[in-house]
Amino acid sequence: MLELLNVSKHFSSIPAVDNVSFSARPGEVTGYLGPNGSGKSTTMKMITGLIEMTSGQILFQGKRIEDDLIAYKRRMGYVPEEPYLYNHLSGAEYLTMIAQLRNLPRRESAERIDGLLRLLSLHDDRHASISGYSKGMRQKVLLAAALLHNPALVLLDEPFSGLDVGSALVLRSLIQELAARGKVVLFSSHELDTVERVCSRVVILHRGKIVADDSIEHLRSLMELSTLEAIFSQLAVEQDSESIARQIADIIHA
Amino acid sequence: MLRSIYKLLVGQPVQFGVLRRQFLLRVIDLEALSIQADIPRFLGQFAGVLMMFSIIRALGLLIHPPLTPAAQFSLAWRTEQSFISSMMLVTGLIAVISWDNIFPDRRDVMVLSPLPVTPRTILFAKLAASCAILGLAVLALNFASGLALPLVLGGIPRFPRIFAAYWFTIISATIFIYGAVLTVQGFTALLLPRHHFLRLSALLQLAAFGLFLGTYFIQPALDTPAALAAAGSQRLLNWSPSFWFFALFNQLSGSLPSRFAWLAHRAWLGLAIAVCGATVSLLLCYLRTMKKTVEEPDLVPGARGWRWAPRLGSPLKTAIVLFSVRSLTRSRHHRVAFAFYLSIVFAIAISALKEAMSTPALQPLTPDFLMSTLMMMCLAVLGLRSVFSLPISLNANWVLRVTQLYPSEEYIAATRRTLLLLAVLPVWLCAALLSLCFKPLLQSAAHLMVLALVGFILTDLSLIGVSKIPFACSYLPGKSNIQYMFWGFVVIFVPIARMFANYEQHALHLSFQYAAMISALTAIALELWLLNRHHARSAVLSYEELSPEVITTLGLSSTNSSSLS
Repeated sequence: MLELLNVSKHFSSIPAVDNVSFSARPGEVTGYLGPNGSGKSTTMKMITGLIEMTSGQILFQGKRIEDDLIAYKRRMGYVPEEPYLYNHLSGAEYLTMIAQLRNLPRRESAERIDGLLRLLSLHDDRHASISGYSKGMRQKVLLAAALLHNPALVLLDEPFSGLDVGSALVLRSLIQELAARGKVVLFSSHELDTVERVCSRVVILHRGKIVADDSIEHLRSLMELSTLEAIFSQLAVEQDSESIARQIADIIHA
Repeated sequence: MLRSIYKLLVGQPVQFGVLRRQFLLRVIDLEALSIQADIPRFLGQFAGVLMMFSIIRALGLLIHPPLTPAAQFSLAWRTEQSFISSMMLVTGLIAVISWDNIFPDRRDVMVLSPLPVTPRTILFAKLAASCAILGLAVLALNFASGLALPLVLGGIPRFPRIFAAYWFTIISATIFIYGAVLTVQGFTALLLPRHHFLRLSALLQLAAFGLFLGTYFIQPALDTPAALAAAGSQRLLNWSPSFWFFALFNQLSGSLPSRFAWLAHRAWLGLAIAVCGATVSLLLCYLRTMKKTVEEPDLVPGARGWRWAPRLGSPLKTAIVLFSVRSLTRSRHHRVAFAFYLSIVFAIAISALKEAMSTPALQPLTPDFLMSTLMMMCLAVLGLRSVFSLPISLNANWVLRVTQLYPSEEYIAATRRTLLLLAVLPVWLCAALLSLCFKPLLQSAAHLMVLALVGFILTDLSLIGVSKIPFACSYLPGKSNIQYMFWGFVVIFVPIARMFANYEQHALHLSFQYAAMISALTAIALELWLLNRHHARSAVLSYEELSPEVITTLGLSSTNSSSLS
């Protein structure tokens, strides 16, 4: 289980994440939602160990992650928000490098890379430079790199970004399959329809603080709202979207 | 053309100005820089090195012992040839470093095409940016020597004519070299499909680099009319533009013997061809290539076939070494930066080969030969270490952090292995080939032992205090203070290397001295290796030249940060 206990992150004196506590359990997909700038990606980066928290604790399977960060990283797979890759490498070279950095056995990793590339429809372009890959193809490379070592914890930050419909359907099923096989899956996205279909629980963040942490069913009945979008709008959206749209149109017509 | 320039200046000054400033800074890969990178300071340091050259040359001209008229004449010709070939070298290097700057690249096309900016504006903005860089280089390299030379050659009475001739020649030589590079590049772009052009362009760029540096270092000075007229020099004169412009300078200053007028004629012809070629290729490229660039498919299929991925130690070491090799060979910026050092290494190797072949077979090793191999080793290690500091993709470094499953010392050891495999080993093999083919076996083997130890010492020296993975840390231009490094190398390292070469040559004949030298070198190499290992145990891998706090807060203090919220 992944647990965050009173985790905060301040940049200089500005709080980006403020006293956040929640847990993600094996066998379920936990959605981590929030508007832009609410602190989702900062939380994800703290969970991956990319940035240090200002205060609080992150526990994985009962142990503080910083006590043995290397052992923790061995069990964690991460798809970041932006598809930043080494563009001068090919897809196959990138995945091979990741396998080597993770010290995976040569033959086993070669088989996994080959299989992942085939199933993600990247096999034909595996020797082409990543610089030529589309956004969706890059996203698939990131996904393959995150799953290559069979992680126990899967962190997905906007994993559907750039994927075509077919690939998105595959990924949606994959996320559920990973959870069904006992992995801890923490999934952040702005696509609320997908979250509603995939996640069993959601944590909603607003201005660095948690405003909801419950199952979608329970939130629906509690707030007497039919969709996750309506729940999210009520909890985390302060603007009147129609009014803003009108104002934008007014500005460009002025 | 004039109407276009007028329209441009009057009609679109804002677009032109904005683009010119953007293109001016493109000399350096902006994406590789740390957030506090100061590009003007970095360019200023390069200008500082050139200005120092100019001052030293001017002082050398003004302060020298009295000479006979013949010696003075010879010195004057050597100096003129040296000034002109130096300017051509600097221009050539700028042309190679800013290889992609003048022609529209894919990023320009994709960003600027949807905007109401005409190709003409882009072209003139790029030309203006290139002219500014070239103008800066011309001024920096000649501001002192360009006054001293006319003064020394003609005295006060002939100063105006020689001054005008000198500056005209220098500017013409600059335009010739830059125009020639643009012509070759432009016509290649026009004739080939874009993906073939991109591949060939990388090779052309390296070839140009080698050509400019090799020519500068290997080309002899022909400092008397007899040497210039000698039958053996005619082939060189036919093909070497620096002699054409040397003749042009003398023609303009009224001191060229009439039998060498054909050389000046070549300079005029070459200049005309280069200017016309560059103009035509630029115009055609902006009219045709910009459209072709958009039409090219994004994904070029990779070459299929045998892909060799050797094991180079542990999987981590293999990953880091292969990552470095691929970065070095596939990134244009890194390739060019390393090619700068490699070209000098190559030129020294050619000189050593010439020296070795000019003496009877199996002559003992000379201090010059030993010095050559030492310099090659030093430049290769220094070059690769410098290039390691330039990141390939800062944004992608997150993956190295997330997959850091080993202690930092393992990564630093992998960096050391990369330096040994990519810098020390090739130079050592090259030196082995040169010495074993042309020098006595025992002496060669003894020297190769010394050279290997020097390679280890230089590698560990270059890694003192380093806790980085190659190509994976941000770059802060100006931090290395290149002007001090350069002069430190020239003033301190070169004399030390000369003394060492003399001592080694002496020691090769005396077994006790040789044993003492090997023992001392081994002790130094071991000490440095242990020192670096000790440091590596407590090191934290660094991906930014600045502390994370400075980066995440953009250097804002807590007092004024509330405005961000």
